Amino acid sequence: MAKVLMKGNEAMALAAIKGGCDAFFGYPITPQNEIPEYLSYHMEENDRIFVQAESEVAAINMVYGAAGAGARVLTSSSSPGIALKQEGISYIVGSELPCVIINVMRGGPGLGGIQPSQGDYNQITRGGGNGDYHMMAFAPETLQETVDVVKESFDLADYYRNPVMIAVDGLIGQMMEPVDIDKAIPKRDLPEKTWAATGESGKRGSRNKIVSLHLDPYDLEKHNLKLKEKYDKMVENEQRYEMISTDDAEIILVAYGSMARIARSAVKALREEGIKVGIIRPITIWPFPEKAFVDLPESVHTLLTLEMSLGQMLQDVKIVNQGRYELAFYGRAGGVVPETDEIIEQVRKYVGGKK
Amino acid sequence: MKRITILTGHYGSGKSEIAVNMAIQEKLDWLIDLDIINPYFRSRSVRALLEGNGIELIESTIENAAGSDLPFISPKGSRPFVKRDIHAVYDLGGTQHGAKVMMQFRDFIKHPEDIDFLVVVNIFRQETDSAEKIIKMVHELEATSQLRVTGFINNSNLMEYTDESMIEAGQRIIFEASEALKRPIVYTYIEEHVKTTKVFAGDNKVLIRHLAKQWL
Repeated sequence: MAKVLMKGNEAMALAAIKGGCDAFFGYPITPQNEIPEYLSYHMEENDRIFVQAESEVAAINMVYGAAGAGARVLTSSSSPGIALKQEGISYIVGSELPCVIINVMRGGPGLGGIQPSQGDYNQITRGGGNGDYHMMAFAPETLQETVDVVKESFDLADYYRNPVMIAVDGLIGQMMEPVDIDKAIPKRDLPEKTWAATGESGKRGSRNKIVSLHLDPYDLEKHNLKLKEKYDKMVENEQRYEMISTDDAEIILVAYGSMARIARSAVKALREEGIKVGIIRPITIWPFPEKAFVDLPESVHTLLTLEMSLGQMLQDVKIVNQGRYELAFYGRAGGVVPETDEIIEQVRKYVGGKK
Repeated sequence: MKRITILTGHYGSGKSEIAVNMAIQEKLDWLIDLDIINPYFRSRSVRALLEGNGIELIESTIENAAGSDLPFISPKGSRPFVKRDIHAVYDLGGTQHGAKVMMQFRDFIKHPEDIDFLVVVNIFRQETDSAEKIIKMVHELEATSQLRVTGFINNSNLMEYTDESMIEAGQRIIFEASEALKRPIVYTYIEEHVKTTKVFAGDNKVLIRHLAKQWL
């Protein structure tokens, strides 16, 4: 299909339908309201299920139930709403159920504000719920990439029997860009969901049960180790990132989402002046793309992490850096989006390396 | 042009960008932002530009609460309807829900002949990609605003990918709706980067993007 002009939130909603989403459960919050609004019309048209729940907590538990019955399920919210869903997410992981969660991030903490932010990095990558758990989290940069990963996420969630999060800041949700909604995406071979509690399982002689309760500690540890095997597989196979103009770079910016867009425009301007600067752009923030940092060119002296938060991803950069390069940081918070010139000014501070 | 232009349409059709362009190009006195739908990319982000052009911006927000998504409407929005020396453009929120705000001014509109109530259409938006959908939207907009739509603006674009043929495709579809409803295409907005020598329906205007950031 040809390109159409879409708003980020609408594009994610349509991508979910295209990705085979059977049911949506959610509760409104700015700046992601166009997702439930769009789905409230279009899920029914496509013979799918749309429910506006009475709260975020109710919504994530409806997701838990529908996923347990074998459906492809979506919920969406924004930062404080995602915080409310954490208990449910932990249960869903513990019960090894697939689902897709869209988080259109806004400024925090608390109720915060409605302007764009990346302040949920720790909530997403360190888990807000209890227990040893992880979920894959995509942080796309353009609407096309966003649409593609939303569609693919349903397959990935089913493949790993684990939630997948799409984490975008409010700008990606609200901006408009041309997208090809039918662009082909990688498909996985997925086994039948023989584990689903469909009401039919008794016919096979045993009942399927959806549980996250394991009272015997040895049994629970075994369960944890089984989950860890999945996380190790994700770390091995699912890291995604883009290297932009890094081949001869002296300074490498590390940025994702809207921040990567701003970094891109700063790099373009700085390169015209002959300043050798590039970008490592994480596309997955969990697993963090540590592979991107392994073989950097000898020209590199500084990694400058850029965030619309105050040094959250910086912790991951520190871990992968292992002291090899100078580390620098610049971030804005609370819904303030930096201008390109602001980033250019930051980069200039590090030209020529440490004085 | 009429003394008052009210812009309506689906969300994402380009109303706010057109309102800013129109206010500057036509040297209007007021831009009244009545968008209670959209939280981002609002005319308030170009307040300095508007003021530099001598245009007063009446915002749909509470002072010093730019991040608020409370559906607040400035009561000053009524003034151009009664003070006939003010030349103004109104920027409504998207869809019939955004157009509903006009209801409250109904009693002040003594001179409907002063007003153009225009539907902005971009056929590359899914919700307005056929004449049938556009006609349905016009009826919905009229029902909630209690105002008669007087014409269309062709703003068919795919942002930086826009070319002449896309504007023509837009014109064909909007013209079908225009014929069926007997309301003219009043303006065609053409992005500044589009190379064309063609003359399109209505007044042809250049669109400069003021609200989208340089890196978007």
